[in-house]
Amino acid sequence: MEISSGIDETQPKFALPVDSEHKATEFRLFSAAAPHMRSFHLSWVSFFACFVSTFAAPPLLPIIRDNLNLTATDIGNAGIASVSGAVFARLAMGTACDLFGPRLASASLILLTAPAVFFTSIASSPVSFLLVRFFTGFSLATFVSTQFWMSSMFSAPVVGTANGVAGGWGNLGGGATQLIMPVVFGIIRDIGAVKFTAWRIAFFIPALFQTLSAFAILIFGQDLPDGNYQKLQKSGNKQKDKFSRVFYHGITNYRGWILALTYGYCFGVELTIDNIIAEYFYDRFNLKLHTAGIIAASFGLANIISRPGGGILSDMMAKRFGMRGRLWTLWTVQTLGGVFCIILGRVGSLSASVAVMIVFSVFVQAACGLTFGVVPFVSRRSLGVISGMTGGGGNVGAVLTQLIFFKGSRYSKEDGITLMGIMMICCTLPLFLIYFPQWGGMFCGPSSDKVATEEDYYMSEWSSNEKGKGMHETSLKFADNSRSERGRRVNSQTLSSNATPPANV
Amino acid sequence: MAGGALFLGLVLVLAYFSETCFAMITFSSLQRTLVVTASHPQRILKAGEDKITVTWGLNQSLPAGTDSAYRTIKVQLCYAPISQVDRAWRKTVDNLSKDKTCQFKILKGPYTTTNRTSEWTIERDVPAATYFIRAYALDDDDRQVAYGQTNDAKKSTNLIEIQAISGRHVSLDIASVCFSVFSIVALTGFFVTEKIKGRKAQQ
Repeated sequence: MEISSGIDETQPKFALPVDSEHKATEFRLFSAAAPHMRSFHLSWVSFFACFVSTFAAPPLLPIIRDNLNLTATDIGNAGIASVSGAVFARLAMGTACDLFGPRLASASLILLTAPAVFFTSIASSPVSFLLVRFFTGFSLATFVSTQFWMSSMFSAPVVGTANGVAGGWGNLGGGATQLIMPVVFGIIRDIGAVKFTAWRIAFFIPALFQTLSAFAILIFGQDLPDGNYQKLQKSGNKQKDKFSRVFYHGITNYRGWILALTYGYCFGVELTIDNIIAEYFYDRFNLKLHTAGIIAASFGLANIISRPGGGILSDMMAKRFGMRGRLWTLWTVQTLGGVFCIILGRVGSLSASVAVMIVFSVFVQAACGLTFGVVPFVSRRSLGVISGMTGGGGNVGAVLTQLIFFKGSRYSKEDGITLMGIMMICCTLPLFLIYFPQWGGMFCGPSSDKVATEEDYYMSEWSSNEKGKGMHETSLKFADNSRSERGRRVNSQTLSSNATPPANV
Repeated sequence: MAGGALFLGLVLVLAYFSETCFAMITFSSLQRTLVVTASHPQRILKAGEDKITVTWGLNQSLPAGTDSAYRTIKVQLCYAPISQVDRAWRKTVDNLSKDKTCQFKILKGPYTTTNRTSEWTIERDVPAATYFIRAYALDDDDRQVAYGQTNDAKKSTNLIEIQAISGRHVSLDIASVCFSVFSIVALTGFFVTEKIKGRKAQQ
């Protein structure tokens, strides 16, 4: 008698439990098992390196501004330039991920922007300073490849957590650099270099870190649980998609635009604060630059738990309430972030300010994590484009906010912060308009139409011609795996109706 | 007993606050009693190379005893207004503890009634800007009580223009270019290797 083992002999074995797309259904932080957790560690470390490089200049500005003879206007413009490059780079990165895979896309960008960081060492004027900050800022587009990669490696129940931890620990770089660069500069100066040379040498550290992380991605990384795009495309397991179709389905999805706006007012606010908060504390409370820098660093360092916390919260709410839970939590947390931002601009004492800032940082960073709990479900075919639009929207928000409230002296910094909080609350309201026929929106339940299923939603991105070629297979698997977004109550109803035996024909 | 302790406490508190009150010295309260002159080559000076000769002393036309409180002299290199434009970190503020006009120390030494001269080599970390020189007379508690400077109150004449070192070195330039080229070449190398591997796998 033969006992069927039930194990498919052709299935590769994974260290973590996986779903039908071979995406991990568990997130084990302290494992480095290939391919899932290894991709996680590669992506967050490389993103961290890019953040360190992009914000390496602000803590050393007191020396750089004297060396390059910068004015306050030059510094402000360079700050805006550092976050504006990534607006289109993020969108381009999203498309590149859809077409070439996150491994090649992110490693290419990181190695192409590393020269900008190396050239910072030889900057000699306000113009060259602005240019190096502008081109270094392009590397922040690796955020999109990080989120795309995590969404490709981790399944619906844990995708929010994976995205949140990878994004949060990468953003950490913005805080860590405020501590790392002054220390590196100090060591080099103590060895014997003059101030104006020491800061130049110091920039080699983030540049080399960035380059090495890109090599690690190329050598150890992998696009999908089953292998790399190129290999899978050649063996016929993955269809090569067309740029125009991918792009079209991304930009015509209104949910992507709404998320781009709301992300502009959580992540955009975070970037703005990264650029202005040290000066704010220095001027308003007459602190030493060193102390103001430590406070500024603590805002960015909160990312170690707050953004992952947002992702975890999103997954928890989805287990019980599905996509509607994710949307409501995002709206609540981001609006509260806006409220605390208004309060931050109003408080007048140092200790109250620091306390409010920390609470504010937790809410605004959690909102970022919650946003990327929703993004993976907006589109399957154009996941990269949607991620890129949302990520780019974050940078647009940073540029706009700094231009309106923090350039020149129209508003005092504290008024600017309060007004920014009001704008956060207003720009979060559009979340009410997001509606998924199969899951519902914030105010409406799922469509009572029998045809409103996950398959219908994700299949609408493919033409019948393309379906005929079998290009929609992965979307079909994803639709099946995303049924958990109905929440627990509705899920059990669906299961009981599915259990009814088919009538005899 | 309790009353005495309370009184002592009150005195200490008052003393503390009066200390902080006295600590706020304003520039406008200082007397201009010193005469300071500087001589240097009449061209743009180079940091790390050129020297400035500074002479300072009490204005002889003032009555004797004006300088009774002076114990120390501090001579500083200060930013001229043109180098302070749009640069809040060099701002002139009346409260001397917050004033950022004079950021470089030329010398600090005991005060003497006779005129003194000193030659100073411009330090290598002085940034490129336009400057003038100011001397403060300090009392026993190291507080400013008088000053003198190389130009008038408008700080528009006798300005010293200094050209800073760039901080760049040929070795740094070469290293930057080499590493940058290496990054691009490495990326191209990876792509080529992947293509070759892909072709081999197909064969």
